[in-house]
Amino acid sequence: MPSESVVTVSELTRRFGATTALASVTLSMARGAVYGLVGANGAGKTTLIKHILGLLRAESGSVRVFGRDPVADPVGVLSRIGYLSEENDLPGWMRMDELIRYSRAFYPAWDDAYADELRQAFALDPTAKIKNLSRGQKARAGLLVALAHRPELLVLDEPSSGLDPIVRRDILGAVIRTIAHEGRTVLFSSHLLEEVEQVADHVTMIDHGTIVLSAPLSEIKESHRVDGRVPSLDEIFVSRVGKA
Amino acid sequence: MRSPAAAIAWQFRQRHRWGFLALIAYLFVLAMIKLVILERGQRVDFDDVETFAWVVIVPLTSTFLYFLGLFTFGLSGDIASRQSIYPARMFSLPVTSAALAGWPMLYGSAAMAMLWFGTRLLALWPSDVDVPVLWPALLGASLLAWTQALTWMPYPLRGLRVIITVLWLATIDAVVMVALKSKAPETVMLAILAPHVPLAYLVARSAVARARRGDVPDWRLGQISRPIRRDQFRSPARAQLWFEWQQYGRSLPWLVAILLPFELALLFAFRQTPELIWETLVFVLLTPPSMAIFVAATVSYGVTPFIATRPLTNASLIAAKLKATMWSTLVAWMLVLVAIPLALRFSGTALVVMERVHQLVEVFGTPRAIALLLLGLAALMASTWKQLVQSLYIGMSGREWVVKASVFVALSFLAVVLPLTVWISRSRYAMAVLWNNFALIAAVLVCFKLSAAVWVAMRLYDKQLLSDRTLVIGAACWAAIVFALYGLLVWTFPALLFRHYLLALVAILAVPLARLSAAPLALEWNRHR
Repeated sequence: MPSESVVTVSELTRRFGATTALASVTLSMARGAVYGLVGANGAGKTTLIKHILGLLRAESGSVRVFGRDPVADPVGVLSRIGYLSEENDLPGWMRMDELIRYSRAFYPAWDDAYADELRQAFALDPTAKIKNLSRGQKARAGLLVALAHRPELLVLDEPSSGLDPIVRRDILGAVIRTIAHEGRTVLFSSHLLEEVEQVADHVTMIDHGTIVLSAPLSEIKESHRVDGRVPSLDEIFVSRVGKA
Repeated sequence: MRSPAAAIAWQFRQRHRWGFLALIAYLFVLAMIKLVILERGQRVDFDDVETFAWVVIVPLTSTFLYFLGLFTFGLSGDIASRQSIYPARMFSLPVTSAALAGWPMLYGSAAMAMLWFGTRLLALWPSDVDVPVLWPALLGASLLAWTQALTWMPYPLRGLRVIITVLWLATIDAVVMVALKSKAPETVMLAILAPHVPLAYLVARSAVARARRGDVPDWRLGQISRPIRRDQFRSPARAQLWFEWQQYGRSLPWLVAILLPFELALLFAFRQTPELIWETLVFVLLTPPSMAIFVAATVSYGVTPFIATRPLTNASLIAAKLKATMWSTLVAWMLVLVAIPLALRFSGTALVVMERVHQLVEVFGTPRAIALLLLGLAALMASTWKQLVQSLYIGMSGREWVVKASVFVALSFLAVVLPLTVWISRSRYAMAVLWNNFALIAAVLVCFKLSAAVWVAMRLYDKQLLSDRTLVIGAACWAAIVFALYGLLVWTFPALLFRHYLLALVAILAVPLARLSAAPLALEWNRHR
């Protein structure tokens, strides 16, 4: 596996008033792997992702994506990232075909055939307005926009909250695997540890803004083996963080 | 919180505590003024209607409208939508629909009553006016209750809520006006108004119950199926311009298109009265800039995470907004410029306008008259665009406290400037002092504007939000427009009337610079927090 770093976070600290959202976080993500970012609600997952996207400025420490500062060079960084957020605030007034037409203008690598393939696989009506889609369909629409330009880095911030179990297992898992096999990188944030366990190569656990564990999944499991039994990620998380 | 009633009350109090505090402060000031005057035993005689209007009627009306928005939940809902604007999150509370409708109505009615009694007791009323005791409070409560009932109702068509509510409130107003004209005593007024709140409550309860079970009637015709768009945008900037136009750009032309027929219909009604024809035309010409003030609030709305994660620079995002507002202005004015000649032609009032144009040509000569008309038109168009974009930097900051503070500052400024302007316009001495120092005042304003622009330019340069080339081209364009305007002003207005340096100062102040340039800075502050 190539070891070129796609994301490098060094000593990143972020405070919101009296709350420390991130405390000296250091993280490096190599190309071609699936990274699972796990933690309880409010642990700092979204704050870390927002720094990677350049939506938050590093108060202290540094963030580099593809070797660039995402705040100083939003075009250079964001054009190579596919992003699906938990909020999924796609413009409700757009029709599906308009969303595709609008989105592809920003990405030179946009693949029309792949977009059409995804649209059909996700059963999205091109004439339907986004605001009339169900929550699951909106998540699929967001995933389509995030994937169709074949991004070098796919960032999924709690994407499962809008998807039913079939979509989660069959589509999301397959999409993430395909991307990783093509040598691209995925950062997948979730508090559903089972889901992360299915797709991640590398797991980073975050708690109260601090990284408590970051290693390849196989290594984590091996190091937590008890009496020959390999514990689940859920059990490891509870043992590390002290809560589910 | 001990009960649902207390929780609903807390929600209103907590969200609008600053509004309530401002109202209390206003009533306190009224009370202090009254105390001072009554202490001296002076008779209260307002020398004109305007002073009384500014001190009592305008604050009273503004607060009434604020209460309408507050207690209907209209300040945070889509007033034109088919769905009820009652907050859906409250439908899942374990309380009856009667309580959901009843408590906000009760609090609203109580607030309206207190507003009236407070103003009646504490404001200075002209001594010769017999101020009614109860019925205005009941009228306020009735109007609010009906507004609540009608806005909480789900409707079969978009926009129907606004039409029905306005018509029904106007009907109640008309009945009250007729009763007042007939010099109806207070008891009759109370009898007319008494049934309204209970009736409105019954309607509101039914409306909330229907909205709660998702009962939204639908009379819409089948959607016109537009073909699927497969053509591509030539660039990301074009795509963003399309986005801005679709989302915000069409609002101003639509508003102007809705208002124009009603305004121009007055030409048909007043065709025998030249003065009213002119007033109507002035009214029509002021429609785009005045409507732009309202539309600006939507244009300036901050950026969503979806837009913030588009691979575009802050400058490109702002440029798309500026271009969309330019198109918006042009389309709105195109409608006005097409509609006015048509209305003049078909109403038979074109001759009146032509006569005035001939008089203008006789006084100034043909070239200057044309220049004056074009200058006026350009000024109105520029003013429309300026209204749309001048507060962009506030909205782009994405900070609620900045938006609220700017509204507070603007209202405070108006509260000082408007009475001051009235006073100055009536005082020959003040007018003379102002005129003699006009150049100095303009020069100070120019210094302030240019200093702010230099500060903004330095920040833009430091943060590399705009390239050096863009900064230089922007400055050169601004200077060229100022020089062109100055040249036009010098050519149009004789030196005897206005000194040239005065016209130069006016030209510098007229062309937007500092606030407009601050928009990318504000967006950068918002997008990368």
